[in-house]
Amino acid sequence: MTQLVVPSTVAELGQVIGSGRVIAGGTDLLVQMRAGREEERLIDITNLADGPSPVVHRDGVVEVSAVASISSVIEALAGRLPAIAAAARVFGSRQIRNRATIGGNLANASPAADMVPPLVAAGAEAVVQGRVGSRTVLVSELSTGPGTTVLEPEEWISLLRVPLPHGEEGFLKLGGRAAMAISIVSLAWRWRTDTDGNLHDVRLAFGAVAPTVIRVTEAEAAIEGQRPTPDVVNKAVSAIRRSVRPIDDIRASAWYRRQVAADLFRYAVDA
Amino acid sequence: MRVNGQLAETGPSEERLLDFLRERLGLTGAKEGCGMGECGACTVLMEGEAVCSCLVLVGQVGDASIVTVEGLGAPELLHPFQQAVVDAHATQCGFCTPGVVVSVAGLLMKDPHPEPDAVLQAIEGNLCRCTGYAPIFQAVEAAGAAPRL
Repeated sequence: MTQLVVPSTVAELGQVIGSGRVIAGGTDLLVQMRAGREEERLIDITNLADGPSPVVHRDGVVEVSAVASISSVIEALAGRLPAIAAAARVFGSRQIRNRATIGGNLANASPAADMVPPLVAAGAEAVVQGRVGSRTVLVSELSTGPGTTVLEPEEWISLLRVPLPHGEEGFLKLGGRAAMAISIVSLAWRWRTDTDGNLHDVRLAFGAVAPTVIRVTEAEAAIEGQRPTPDVVNKAVSAIRRSVRPIDDIRASAWYRRQVAADLFRYAVDA
Repeated sequence: MRVNGQLAETGPSEERLLDFLRERLGLTGAKEGCGMGECGACTVLMEGEAVCSCLVLVGQVGDASIVTVEGLGAPELLHPFQQAVVDAHATQCGFCTPGVVVSVAGLLMKDPHPEPDAVLQAIEGNLCRCTGYAPIFQAVEAAGAAPRL
């Protein structure tokens, strides 16, 4: 029978970390356990009296607690980080959003995780705590494949540092229905448009088309510094189609995902 | 934890809140429709927020207040939304209904006159196989929501 421990301070957590699986909202972990995943012990990290504040605005950076619920960030970040807020808005269902956390979404490392693309496009970092000390990991380097991360058993994600955008950012997701749907393909983007209409500092992060969220740097380079004319957009689309590595699964075929990845980009540019 | 305003004797911390409510407290309004957080039939309010009780362990509730459908209305005194459900025939087999009532009541507590988008967001996690949702929307409108065009 699985044991649940709920430390109430970081010090208490430090004493038990490594002796079980970290759980936050558990909206995917508990489902996996119901489907057969065995965990002897769960360590709930959402009850730390001395954990980080939910959202802190610093110079040019927003620090978000890893155990902030998805629903809490919709309001908190809608103004300054609209891509993350947009992803949060279409995450699961309301019941799921009220329990699921950003850190949990990252640690669970689904290739279709919705909070990951906007964080990758933003160049966000995760602060990873251990028993003694902490380290910083780029969100883009956190997941190593479906369900796996660089986190050691004695580590947990405590907060996310997200640089503010200098221009626009957005997030689009295609799912089988309007809510409660795992992404078939998702795209988060960031760029800055100058007065001549050229796009700069382009970041394109795609979800659900590779074992981890990927940036298509070839497509970014194709548009960098240019206006999104049909020619330029088509070049980027070709790069996207070449770069994504989708699979056939129960939700969609690889062929369809490749097509949709390109289409999401076109939507993003037209928006 | 507090359940419907009363202090509840706690159970094993690894037990699902859904099972604790149904089996130990006899509050059988919340249903197990899927056990995976996808259907919303097990919805309860935790500190006023709708959650799937099949995905919450008793030990994770702490001091939070839990409200189930039984805490929102009773046959002799229906919650206004429950009355609206009756009037709009927004229930057929009834299995999703407690979850729908909890989700909508939770919304109306925060926003008595929600826009259609807010209504959709509030009930998108409650699946209904019988009504086709239209009567449910009518009931929510009768209970105060802005009408959909």
